[in-house]
Amino acid sequence: MNSTSTHFVPARRVNIYEPLHQFGMWGETFKSNIGNGNLNTPSHIIIQNSQLDNNLSEDTSHGTPLVFDQETSTSRHPDKIKRRLAQNREAAKKSRLRKKAYVQQLETSRLKLIQLEQELDRARQQGFYVGNGIDTSTTTSLGFSENMNPGIVAFEMEYGHWIEEQNKQICELRTVLQGHVGDVELRLLVEIAMKHYFDLFRMKSAAAKEDVFFIMSGMWRTSAERFFLWIGGFRPSDLIKVLLPHFDVMTDQQILDVCNLRQSCQQAEDALSQGMEKLQHTLADCIAGGRLGEGNYVPQVNSAMERAEASVSFVNQADHLRHETLQQMHRILTTRQAARGLLALGEYFQRLRALSSSWATRHREPA
Amino acid sequence: MQGTISCTRHYPMIPAAESLRPMPLRTQGDGESVRTLVEENAVMVIGRKGCCMCLVVKRLFFGLGVNPAVLDIDEKMEVEVMNELEKIGVQGGRETVMLPAVYIGGRLFGGLDRVMATHISGELVPILKEVGALWL
Repeated sequence: MNSTSTHFVPARRVNIYEPLHQFGMWGETFKSNIGNGNLNTPSHIIIQNSQLDNNLSEDTSHGTPLVFDQETSTSRHPDKIKRRLAQNREAAKKSRLRKKAYVQQLETSRLKLIQLEQELDRARQQGFYVGNGIDTSTTTSLGFSENMNPGIVAFEMEYGHWIEEQNKQICELRTVLQGHVGDVELRLLVEIAMKHYFDLFRMKSAAAKEDVFFIMSGMWRTSAERFFLWIGGFRPSDLIKVLLPHFDVMTDQQILDVCNLRQSCQQAEDALSQGMEKLQHTLADCIAGGRLGEGNYVPQVNSAMERAEASVSFVNQADHLRHETLQQMHRILTTRQAARGLLALGEYFQRLRALSSSWATRHREPA
Repeated sequence: MQGTISCTRHYPMIPAAESLRPMPLRTQGDGESVRTLVEENAVMVIGRKGCCMCLVVKRLFFGLGVNPAVLDIDEKMEVEVMNELEKIGVQGGRETVMLPAVYIGGRLFGGLDRVMATHISGELVPILKEVGALWL
């Protein structure tokens, strides 16, 4: 129980020295409260003695202050005493509740702060800044990388713009497809959307030359997107599988063509995956060359760096595959189907980014 | 110290079909034999030894049921082989060849880029059937 609450003034004659004595009783609490700048100082005791520090009497609005009147003997007004005691109790109670609420607030904030720090640490270790939990469907979840490579920093900036542009295009497609739109306008939107993806592949190619590990591990993407990563981007056959049910009525020939496309993608992906495996084996063998444990490994690291460069062509080939797949889908589908497909594709990635965002903030919800 | 590491890495098993094809030329680098090889085989893949992209090309063909002839060249004979390759199929001129290179029906088809693109567009399989590399 809060010690301050039990120390109310017994009804007796008060003289000038009493207030100081009162302070002595409450001393500990007051000292610690002052030290912490605690706003919930039990300040319901207003003491007329002007020697006292004014800080202690700042909270005068709550409850009726109990005044130690030296001249008026409390024994002459028993009702007043009772009223004052009651008010004192009331004020003390309110003060306790305020203090409790404040402490709880502090505790919650402390926990949030710890979580934020942990998240920031984790993000820094991964090499990039995490934004403050902002909605990732409208902006990237990243600020800029701690990666000092200017080419990579430029790429991340460009990618941020790419996402903004992507979101605008998706919005426009959505709006346009809900109403009536001519094929000519639709074709234009489809061309723009396709070109936008091709722009991304070009950007990635340039960035891969700067830092292939960065691209390969999808560091510029959100966490849920990285979960599905295949050689630095999406897996074409998976996307076809996801999108297939979302097209409008398709002719038998179209369905056949799309299935063939999916199979071709799968075959190409398998070949690339096997090549990647070999590259990884080669790289691992290279790194593990000589004797492991001697502490001298500069030659191994150097030769591994040369081999790692070979990954660049894998990123390029994978993006080439994505490019060709998009082109082929465009050939198979009508303009309207292609528009719907691109809208569906765009929103699929938006949802993944939204998942990443929700995921990042899932522990921050108050219990 | 070699030999003390007991576990070795095994690359994925290659399909049995590969062992039935004619033995690839691995050591001879002279122009004539390269030319002959290219002309005699419906599909031929030429690449640097240990090149991972070359493996991708090979695996892609195997996955389709095609049995390409494979020439893995090492650095020493690379220049000579490239010289010969560049003379193939072009009267009096030279065309630049990037490795890995794919020859279909005795003529330069292209690199992995072109193979991928034509496979995705569905044009590769008919071409392979035309040259007799595929029968189904």
